[in-house]
Amino acid sequence: MKLTGSQAVMESLLKENVKVIFGYPGGAIMPVYDALYDYMDRIIHVLVRHEQGAAHAAEGYGRITGEPGVCLATSGPGATNLVTGIADAMMDSVPIVCITGQVASHLVGSDAFQEADVMGITAPITKWNYQITDANEIPEVFSKAFHIAKTGRPGPVLIDITKDAQFATFDFSYPKEVKMESYQPTTHPHPKQIELAAELLNKAERPYILAGHGVIIAKAEKDLIRLAEKGGIPVAQTLHGVSIFPTAHPLHVGFLGMHGNYGPNILSNKADVVLAVGMRFDDRVTGRLKDYLPDAKIIHIDIDPAELNKNVQVEIPIVADAKNAIQALNKEIKKRSHSAWIKEFQKCYQLEEKKVIQNECDPKKGKIKMGEAIYKLNELTKGEAIIVADVGQHQMMAARYAKFVKPNSFITSGGMGTMGFALPAAMGAKYALLHPPNGQVSDGKASLDREVICITGDGGVQMNIQELATLAQENLPVKIVILNNDFLGMVRQWQELFFKKRYSMTKIKNPDFVTVAKGFYLQAEKVEKREELMGALKRMLKSKGPYLLDIKVEKEQNVFPMIATGASVDEVRLE
Amino acid sequence: MKQIYTITAFAENRPGVLYRIADLFLRRKVNIESLTVSEIEHTGQSRFTILVHAEPLLVEKLVKQLYRIIEITKVIDSLDQSLIIKEIALIKITAKNLERRREIEQLVHLANGKIAAVNQSYLVVEKTGTEEEIDSLHELLKPFGIKEFVRSGRIVVFK
Ligand SMILES: Cc1ncc(C[n+]2csc(CCOP(=O)(O)OP(=O)(O)O)c2C)c(N)n1
Repeated sequence: MKLTGSQAVMESLLKENVKVIFGYPGGAIMPVYDALYDYMDRIIHVLVRHEQGAAHAAEGYGRITGEPGVCLATSGPGATNLVTGIADAMMDSVPIVCITGQVASHLVGSDAFQEADVMGITAPITKWNYQITDANEIPEVFSKAFHIAKTGRPGPVLIDITKDAQFATFDFSYPKEVKMESYQPTTHPHPKQIELAAELLNKAERPYILAGHGVIIAKAEKDLIRLAEKGGIPVAQTLHGVSIFPTAHPLHVGFLGMHGNYGPNILSNKADVVLAVGMRFDDRVTGRLKDYLPDAKIIHIDIDPAELNKNVQVEIPIVADAKNAIQALNKEIKKRSHSAWIKEFQKCYQLEEKKVIQNECDPKKGKIKMGEAIYKLNELTKGEAIIVADVGQHQMMAARYAKFVKPNSFITSGGMGTMGFALPAAMGAKYALLHPPNGQVSDGKASLDREVICITGDGGVQMNIQELATLAQENLPVKIVILNNDFLGMVRQWQELFFKKRYSMTKIKNPDFVTVAKGFYLQAEKVEKREELMGALKRMLKSKGPYLLDIKVEKEQNVFPMIATGASVDEVRLE
Repeated sequence: MKQIYTITAFAENRPGVLYRIADLFLRRKVNIESLTVSEIEHTGQSRFTILVHAEPLLVEKLVKQLYRIIEITKVIDSLDQSLIIKEIALIKITAKNLERRREIEQLVHLANGKIAAVNQSYLVVEKTGTEEEIDSLHELLKPFGIKEFVRSGRIVVFK
């Protein structure tokens, strides 16, 4: 079949079951946009308002579906605008494929108009990148790109295509399978390692599971629940692990890390055997490394060998896909219970409840609190919603107080902590529910009706606020909740605690978000009073289209518990 | 304690692989003491020989992170005792006077080197050997006035 390079790009996307792409046109990608014109019945193109929005939207799509989210941008500034999103996807292991136009191959390297060294710029932040200068390369490179993005430890891949390659015609045929000599991720655990791990777990007095994003990527949530139940092992979740377990599950003890729950942090150091799965011992989780898990033998399961012994020395490293490893462990693990150990977590929770949670989620006076807003939202959504959180205090509050009944329901920027992530990522998540990749079975009405709620700050929402226009154009029913404290709250909290309350550049004068939203043709409302909060949330959830709710919350509220930078997990502060 | 490691990496011969390797060493702030790259005949594979001076634990991490580069097929880190190591050096010396030339030639001969080129005004000495052998010949030749001194960086085969 004779095709132009641009048509081949469209056909390749269809071969990869791509249903939705997020993009923005420009000179060097115009031939592809021209080809798209004939494919609009098969591929939904979402016109974002800034390429960063496209990259984060692709991330949202990738995280919900497990299939690469796709974004499309022009050369030079279009490509460089993707950079933050690509770096974010790299840090959080999110499958995305970015396609960028490039100046014609005879101009590459000559400082041509809108030429940027996209290959050089993105090499450190992509799992793989490739520049196509010959149309004949398109089928093979696309099949490789999608394969690499979604297998092993997922990540961003970038394909740069010169304009002449987009125009050239060639005989198109798509490879049936990807053949690569290099890149063979190990997916099955070594049986001996599993045996040793099971032995440790079976003998443990205070075993402890730390579950991360890898469990969700491997779709191993049910297997992990089975393992925990069989072994009677308490489970704590990392920021990206939130929602692996239903919040209410008795073995789920909470959220780990700097602002995680009290028990999961402080009791880490009492565990005698730790099973860490699909997590990477980030510094926000471990606190001061030298005093982390002093008494524990550690079993670490990860598909990326480079994560094993990277930050924490472990007894039993296991390179494998989390699902395979957990299933293998399930066969070896003995039925046990550790009720005294689990009681310790409950005791810690009671203390945290008294000192922090009650006052946060059910205050009787003063301004609305962040936790309270999230708590009330829960009551209405019953934990069914997908929560997409931005970065800051509201993010930690969302991770702490949002409740979940389904896995993979909490999306946020963890590794990079990218402000401005949530709004476009929520958009991508909503598209994932409405238009999953071809061939992926959706839950039908359940998934069409599922709410996607973006929880963001008054600072963060102003980064990528332009995407409100995209929501309006597509009439995409994403709900946006601003927890508005008129501060760059998380930075202010640090200034209060560690910089003698010198509030340098953290007090911000915000626009009237309702007016802004209405200017973008969104429905919007502001709420300040406790009595009006429930009503406002209900109206938001009832509304049909996109909706913005500006909730004015207490200005100088702090997120607790907290492990200060450089402190040990057992120095977690409750106030 | 820091040690000399030779990291041998095999990769598909494609543009950009060296860039990613170099970037990794940059991120980890490990200086590359020497680097040689060549294609392994008929295989479409390149062989990178990278000399670093680093802590064992860091080398272990670097090796694993190198595997993240898609094109990389194999990485081996070795200490000198498990390798046959060779390097080549070219040393250019001005020598117009016949007697000096003779002296140089003698030294080079004793050191198992070769004269790679001559003309009226200079000599080029070629020496293949271990890094120490090259160093010592370099020292011996210094008094004659070295114009250029260039070494290839080590290549190794495994014992
Ligand atoms: C792009 C980017 N710039 C700066 C930061 C540093 N930062 C982290 S949290 C934060 C404050 C966020 O303020 P806001 O969005 O109002 O949320 P709040 O903490 O008040 O809930 C800042 C500036 C960041 N994470 N990302």
